[in-house]
Amino acid sequence: MDPDTRFSLPSLLCEEDESSLQETKLVSSPKSEDDLYIRSLIETESKSNDYGCVCVCDDDNSRNWLKCARLDAVNWIFSTREILGFQFRTAYLCLTYFDRFISRRFIDNGKDWAIQLLCIACLSLAAKMEELMVPSLSHYKAQGYNFESSVIQRMELMVLTTLEWKMSCITPFSYLHHFLPKINDERDYDGFLVSKAIDLILDFSKDVNSMDHRPSVVAIASVLLACDDQLTRNTMEFKIGVLSSFYSLEKEHIHSCYNLLKEIQTKKNNTPCSISLTTHWSPSSTVKRKLRFEQSCPLQKISRRL
Amino acid sequence: MSNRGNSSGSGSNSNISSSNRPEWLQQYDLIGKIGEGTYGLVFLAKIKSNRSKSIAIKKFKQSKDGDGVSPTAIREIMLLREISHDNVVKLVNVHINHIDMSLYLAFDYAEHDLYEIIRHHRDKVNQAINQYTVKSILWQLLNGLNYLHSNWIMHRDLKPSNILVMGDGEEQGVVKIADFGLARIYQAPLKPLFDNGVVVTIWYRAPELLLGGKHYTSAVDMWAVGCIFAELLTLKPLFQGQEVKATPNPFQLDQLDKIFKVLGHPTVEKWPTLAHLPHWQTDQQHIQGHKYDSPGLYSVVHLSPKNPAYDLLSKMLEYDPRKRITAAQALEHEYFRMEPLPGRNALVPPQPGEKIVNYPTRPVDTNTDFEGTTSLQPAQQASGNVSGGMGPHVMPTRNVPRPMHMVGMQRMQQQSMAAYNLASQAINPANIPMQRGVAAQPHQQQQQQQLRRKDGMGMPGYPQQKSRRF
Repeated sequence: MDPDTRFSLPSLLCEEDESSLQETKLVSSPKSEDDLYIRSLIETESKSNDYGCVCVCDDDNSRNWLKCARLDAVNWIFSTREILGFQFRTAYLCLTYFDRFISRRFIDNGKDWAIQLLCIACLSLAAKMEELMVPSLSHYKAQGYNFESSVIQRMELMVLTTLEWKMSCITPFSYLHHFLPKINDERDYDGFLVSKAIDLILDFSKDVNSMDHRPSVVAIASVLLACDDQLTRNTMEFKIGVLSSFYSLEKEHIHSCYNLLKEIQTKKNNTPCSISLTTHWSPSSTVKRKLRFEQSCPLQKISRRL
Repeated sequence: MSNRGNSSGSGSNSNISSSNRPEWLQQYDLIGKIGEGTYGLVFLAKIKSNRSKSIAIKKFKQSKDGDGVSPTAIREIMLLREISHDNVVKLVNVHINHIDMSLYLAFDYAEHDLYEIIRHHRDKVNQAINQYTVKSILWQLLNGLNYLHSNWIMHRDLKPSNILVMGDGEEQGVVKIADFGLARIYQAPLKPLFDNGVVVTIWYRAPELLLGGKHYTSAVDMWAVGCIFAELLTLKPLFQGQEVKATPNPFQLDQLDKIFKVLGHPTVEKWPTLAHLPHWQTDQQHIQGHKYDSPGLYSVVHLSPKNPAYDLLSKMLEYDPRKRITAAQALEHEYFRMEPLPGRNALVPPQPGEKIVNYPTRPVDTNTDFEGTTSLQPAQQASGNVSGGMGPHVMPTRNVPRPMHMVGMQRMQQQSMAAYNLASQAINPANIPMQRGVAAQPHQQQQQQQLRRKDGMGMPGYPQQKSRRF
């Protein structure tokens, strides 16, 4: 951001150059304006009944299938993000669409194509919201299925109406750059901490449904963990003391989210990557995928009951 | 995949030809086409069940084959779904035509817009708009804009044709801000206006944008309001620059020239960030070399520098966006506290004896059908001398398309929400036979409906603060 705009009168400041979209770049924004915006986001979260709601599958079969299907979906979304050069926040936004859709509509067991089609529609919609350059629908390659553009468009419409056109969802990425300098006194010159926090958020999102925790809580917990993985309840409260009262954040939730993030990291570090990164329908693979529920879910401890 | 809702599907493979229209369309009587723009066509329709209600239906042009749902449509619907204010156009329904996947937005219809009102005064009655009307329009425009800015939304395309005024009825004379095709939420990525593939008039564009500023703020909307204010006073666009259509980044020197001629040359002393604006740096010769004998804004708008109206206008046309007055501040300005006080019905002054101007109704082209095809019905003109259609070609002074939103007198929130649900029932993405949901237990349905009902009524989760501290 232009240094001269830093002390600007409050107004809606937006940037349109591409450099601002690099997530590893730390931006400092006009303080009061940004604070107000962050506060309004947190207020929005607390009024929303999107978070912490219970998923509706109650038989084990469906739950297991959906759990695996979601993990495959996340892997497809993340690798397609890389191929198409989207930002991380776009992939995460896509995942929030996916999770919200799944919480409102039922997908029958084994309807693998429906999950894939849903992923494509969600990623395309997220790109339309977040990216400056949006590829045409033919660039989204599903494994084993070839969806025509008109089919994807129909699915886009279905997602839009199911989510009641509320496409500007809050994600942890809305907060990251705001929280980091408030928690870490030293400047993150090379963007190391931001990258680390982003990694944590992405790993977390593979295991945990995006509707389970408030995005602000995930953002602050991942920033805390990126800065220090040895925080106790007390030291953490000390670190976020000012912040949490300013934004009325719930310390309890931040603490449990911090521990959950840490647990996921520990598990990840102890798991051979060949298993943990298994993806069944990666976009680059050409083998038609067969779902095998029994073996295909390496990450067992999923906090949300899918 | 299956539905959780239990209402019956709409638009299930019915034909869209005029003889056999989809269900949603059958609730309307189509009167004709009233506008055309980059994003599609606008039609005037009546609701069959209540012929007194007029609705403007905006049909989005099909996006390019293979691009899916247009990002502009998504943004506009998303924003309009979440905002609700007296001075912002009211979206009453979203319809999806499932055959060709086209999108239709239904709005309350507004008979007038500032473009037509100004034109009528300039070309027909040859008389200035009365003080009360100017002040009431400006106040309501600022009131709507303050609401948008408080909710972190920038409009970015304010111009007279996007400012609507309600005709006869309960909301007569109420101003409505319309056309959110370019509006943005704070933090959303910004495409440069010039490569949005959109015709945006440059007459109302703020100098920081014209000089290539990449970090712009809600102050760009206030500049546009200033230009519109001046136009209401003088009946002429304040800065009528010649647009350069070159791509990819046209430098609008003529527009800047027009501004500098009236407001004088901007200086780094008065506007410190000026030095960082791309065109200011690269086009030194053109811009900075020029000397302007500024005649002064007051002589252009025929106002005394001591007049509060002039004071407010000059604060809206402040070069430095950081010093430019905000909508919230403008609403508190002395101008609005002196007689005549602004009122809700901008068209009819409260004082008896004041002359009431009868503005012409919008011309309707009854030749064009919803699909944009021309039918064989004879043309009817509601009024005016427009002969067939309302494209820019019949209005030589307008260099921008017709406004895309019209507003009527109606409130039908309940109905509209029902229709959103309805719309979500009928899509079968792959045209693959789908099973109805096995797991849609009654309590879930109930939960879902409750959720929807809540969503529909109060739009939870949207920042509702009335005004942000500026």
